[in-house]
Amino acid sequence: MPRRKNDVAVTIDDVGMDIDAEYDSGSDVDSKRRAKGRNKPKPAARGRKAKPADSAEESEEEEEEAPRKRKGRKKKEESEEESEEEQRGRRKKAAGSKKKAVAKDDSEEESEAVKGNKRRGGKKGATKKEKEEENNKEKKGNGKAAGKGGKDKQDDKKNKGKNSSSSSSDDNSEDESMSEGEMARLKEEVEEKKKLIATLRNKPWRMKRRLKCLKEAQGFVERFEGALGKGKGRRLYAFKVMMTKKLIKFNRDFENFKTACIPWESRIKEVESHFGSSVASYFIFLRWMYGLNLVLFGFMFGLVVIPEVLMGMPYGSIARKTVPREEQESAMDFSVLFEFGGYCKYSIMFYGYYNNQRSIGLLQFRLPLSYLLVGVGIFGYSLMVVIRTMAKNANEGGDGAEEGAFTFCWKLFTSWDYLIGNPETADNKFASTTTSFKESIVDEQENLKDENIHLRRFLRILANLLILCCLGGSGYLIYYVVKRSQEFAKKDRNELSWLQKNEVEIVMSLLGLVCPPLFEVIAELEDYHPRIALKWQLGRIFALFLGNLYTFLFALFDEVNTKLENEKEIRNETIWALKEYYANYTLYHNVTENIPPPNISPADVIRGPCWETEVGIEFVKLTVSDIQVTYLTILIGDFLRAVIVRFLNYCWCWDLEAGFPSYGEFDISGNVLGLIFNQGMIWMGAFYAPGLVGINVLRLLSSMYYQCWAVMACNVPHERVFKASRSNNFYMGLLLLVLFLSLMPVIYSIMTLPPSFDCGPFSGKDKMFDVITETIEKDLPPFMTDIFGYASNPGLIISAVLLMVLAIYYLNAVSKAYQNANMDLKRKMQMQRDEEKNRRNNKDSTNQVMKDLEDLMPNKSLIPPPSAEETEKPADLLSKSPKVTSKPGAAATGKGVHVQKDVSLAAANPRAPVTRPPGPRPPGPLPGNARGPPPGPQGKGRGRGGPPPRR
Amino acid sequence: MGSRASSLLREEDIEEIKRETGFSHSQITRLYSRFHSLDKGENGALSREDFQRIPELAINPLGDRIINAFFPEGEDQVNFRGFMRTLAHFRPVEDNEKNKNLTSGEPLNSRANKLLFAFRLYDLDRDDKISRDELLQVLRMMVGVNISDEQLGSIADRTIQEADTNGDMCISFSEFTKVLEKVDVEQKMSIRFLH
Repeated sequence: MPRRKNDVAVTIDDVGMDIDAEYDSGSDVDSKRRAKGRNKPKPAARGRKAKPADSAEESEEEEEEAPRKRKGRKKKEESEEESEEEQRGRRKKAAGSKKKAVAKDDSEEESEAVKGNKRRGGKKGATKKEKEEENNKEKKGNGKAAGKGGKDKQDDKKNKGKNSSSSSSDDNSEDESMSEGEMARLKEEVEEKKKLIATLRNKPWRMKRRLKCLKEAQGFVERFEGALGKGKGRRLYAFKVMMTKKLIKFNRDFENFKTACIPWESRIKEVESHFGSSVASYFIFLRWMYGLNLVLFGFMFGLVVIPEVLMGMPYGSIARKTVPREEQESAMDFSVLFEFGGYCKYSIMFYGYYNNQRSIGLLQFRLPLSYLLVGVGIFGYSLMVVIRTMAKNANEGGDGAEEGAFTFCWKLFTSWDYLIGNPETADNKFASTTTSFKESIVDEQENLKDENIHLRRFLRILANLLILCCLGGSGYLIYYVVKRSQEFAKKDRNELSWLQKNEVEIVMSLLGLVCPPLFEVIAELEDYHPRIALKWQLGRIFALFLGNLYTFLFALFDEVNTKLENEKEIRNETIWALKEYYANYTLYHNVTENIPPPNISPADVIRGPCWETEVGIEFVKLTVSDIQVTYLTILIGDFLRAVIVRFLNYCWCWDLEAGFPSYGEFDISGNVLGLIFNQGMIWMGAFYAPGLVGINVLRLLSSMYYQCWAVMACNVPHERVFKASRSNNFYMGLLLLVLFLSLMPVIYSIMTLPPSFDCGPFSGKDKMFDVITETIEKDLPPFMTDIFGYASNPGLIISAVLLMVLAIYYLNAVSKAYQNANMDLKRKMQMQRDEEKNRRNNKDSTNQVMKDLEDLMPNKSLIPPPSAEETEKPADLLSKSPKVTSKPGAAATGKGVHVQKDVSLAAANPRAPVTRPPGPRPPGPLPGNARGPPPGPQGKGRGRGGPPPRR
Repeated sequence: MGSRASSLLREEDIEEIKRETGFSHSQITRLYSRFHSLDKGENGALSREDFQRIPELAINPLGDRIINAFFPEGEDQVNFRGFMRTLAHFRPVEDNEKNKNLTSGEPLNSRANKLLFAFRLYDLDRDDKISRDELLQVLRMMVGVNISDEQLGSIADRTIQEADTNGDMCISFSEFTKVLEKVDVEQKMSIRFLH
């Protein structure tokens, strides 16, 4: 979102979409205020001559713009310095360092505890802001600590107050005096630091802390000495500050730029705000797919197509690059081109066009090798990317259900972003608030559902049976149609009607149209939560498509086999003809050597069927028809329907918008699967038709715009908007499966089927992968050949496979163990946090000296070993927490408080239904207690965010 | 900047405001010039219409509530002092806060006061309780007609169930505080004022 100057004369740096606007923590505000506050008790001109006003101003500016980075530290310094000031109040330096140490200790510990705890409880996802946030928190913690720790400061402060009121008249003589004071104070601070460094050795602290203190103090001195010095040091400091400022600004701009560079981000956000995260997840998936395909496209075109175009032989030079004579009249007909015959068939798009020359052009580019490697590399790359994405998503984890007790409260009280100043954004936010409410309602309803288990089970089994029948039926239908089409293929093309020619495609498209809605209707029986229902639906349609795909593939292989036999004959014929020609030539010219090749126009050469090109054409045809069907469906099923419903509604007998046709909903499952299977086609077909990747890139690009438009223009949000799971790993899993399935036939054909003898880059070889062995033998030095020979030894391969299996087993076991450990830690943390909170609530008078002593002790944990019942309680509460929540019995004893805490924080199932209002609870931390550390997630973790307490 | 505006402010006023709200001198003058530019009637006080002109408030579904928060009960004008008093809720909390305002009680920008400010946004009738009706009204402002009344009702019920601890079917301030105890209010309800 663009940053804009707020109209209330405030500037806000980061405006998130949600209510996570961060204020750019007020160090600048601070310094000023400090200056104002602090210099009151001191004489203003102490130890420093008055400067000209402008320079003072300038220094103040610097002070203000001091980089964020040092904030955290500075805060710490301040708190420390505060305690030191207190000391100063006691007539300076005389009163022992003992007291100081205690106070300081206290404050610092406190802040540490706060920090650690916050970090642990870190539920805020704004990761990039984390650092900053942390600093802020730390700062706050310090503030509190200081406020609490220095109770004896009070009278001192009162003095100050009096002082300030009396001296207020002279010290508000504008900024210069303030900055003057600032300088003085700063200087003093630096002095203090220096002294601290000197006396650090005597402090009764642990070594670690001493070191930390020392480092901080040194850093501070280093940083501010420059500011205080004159002339060069000062200028250097100013320069440094300016550069940091610039750097920060640049970083921020760069961040913005990066966000702006994510393609279609705003488009998707818009869709998301109106249709919910589930619909948006499809578009995000689409975008991801587009990225993947762009890379594949880059490989294919950069390494195969472009070299062939630039350096290969031109069209018409050899037989495989020429349209045969008998096809030439019709080669430019639209009907032929539309089916990718004619010129299309003999173009760069398909396998057959590529020549088998070992190397082409000036660069000696090895095209056949490159072709094979790219064909396999596409799979390798896709596999890698899919798996990496899955792993990343798994890290983010979460199934989309919000945890936490106050879902609705938070939604209600905190959902509006008060910094939105742009009407469009406001609209979107408005819609998204509504949507998120709806999502929560659905989740909630699901929890409240009161069910008859037996009926439900019966219905689910029934539904699955029905769907299995559907799947079987459609599978058989496809098989049948494919068989028929093979018979048709043997007849002459011109005798067949259009219907007969395209039967397979039509049947498959029809099945794709009819079955999913049918499944959806059947799925109504099951009554799952929409998120789960979507997964089932996806799985079922996946099975359907899979059946289709595989029947299609088997049919294709049948065809390929017949083609191969056909080809053998033609090959023999060709060889025969060639021999005849040579024989005749020798007969006539009486030469036996240097016989020129037969002088036939490339268009007339006898040629084989070139099964690879045929397969490629099948895939391209399928893809294109898929595109057509998808787009037409959207146009008719969504757009036309919307138009009719909208405009015919004025003159119709019933309410079209609310009644029967209504507007369409966005079909997530269908679209996702369409995308996935389309990708499968691309993966399989890319080897036989390099142009297919290009077509697909165009398709994805156009469908992004088209579908976005269609969704926004003619669909209505789902009746039950539900929250998508945060990781769309389910989609990715399906994609992985499809990838694997589509990998098999291609690899099979590469490894076993003989390539056509007269077309494609591998013509003349026995198997396609012979290219590799050839390269190894001819291009690599002989010792490499030897190495490869050994490496391909079955003994070696088998042992390698064995090793990999073992590794997989081991890693799996390890990850399981980690998982367990994780769960364990999580539980422990929860318990610890509750305990600490409880302890603090009960025991307000925490002895500072005791604390200090404890800090020195080797075992830093202050937590007493929990009594047996205390540990047991949460454990068994975990299992039945929702019920216990509403138990009114928990009385106002300390125990009661504990129970409450456990339940509210450690509820096992956060989405548990609330069937009745919970009974009266003892009041939690009193509001009057606000002076003390708030009851928030900051505990007194003495473990410095370290290990959980031993028990 | 703001020299013209500051000339209209007397030093004593500034001192007063400074003590009350904790803003710095330059912040006050700057905000005063802002106040001045909002004040279309030129009478030294802002009316509701003046606030409505701010686009952020105009499009905010809760904008009216926020504007209301500026006005003391029963009045429809707010002077600069009142303006600053409200804005002071949004001043970032600082660590040396406690040193100074001890004489004048809790500072306006403390966590409790910030929360109280937010609480008041929802507490339409100012009886220190958010009732179901008030929640419904707020909900309607926030989602409009997109969700049926029945569902809105269930949301409100659910919200109260979540937050209510003493069973009076209202959300009191202490319950409100408890709900938002994990929210970093100090940070979120803060605005970085320019100097």
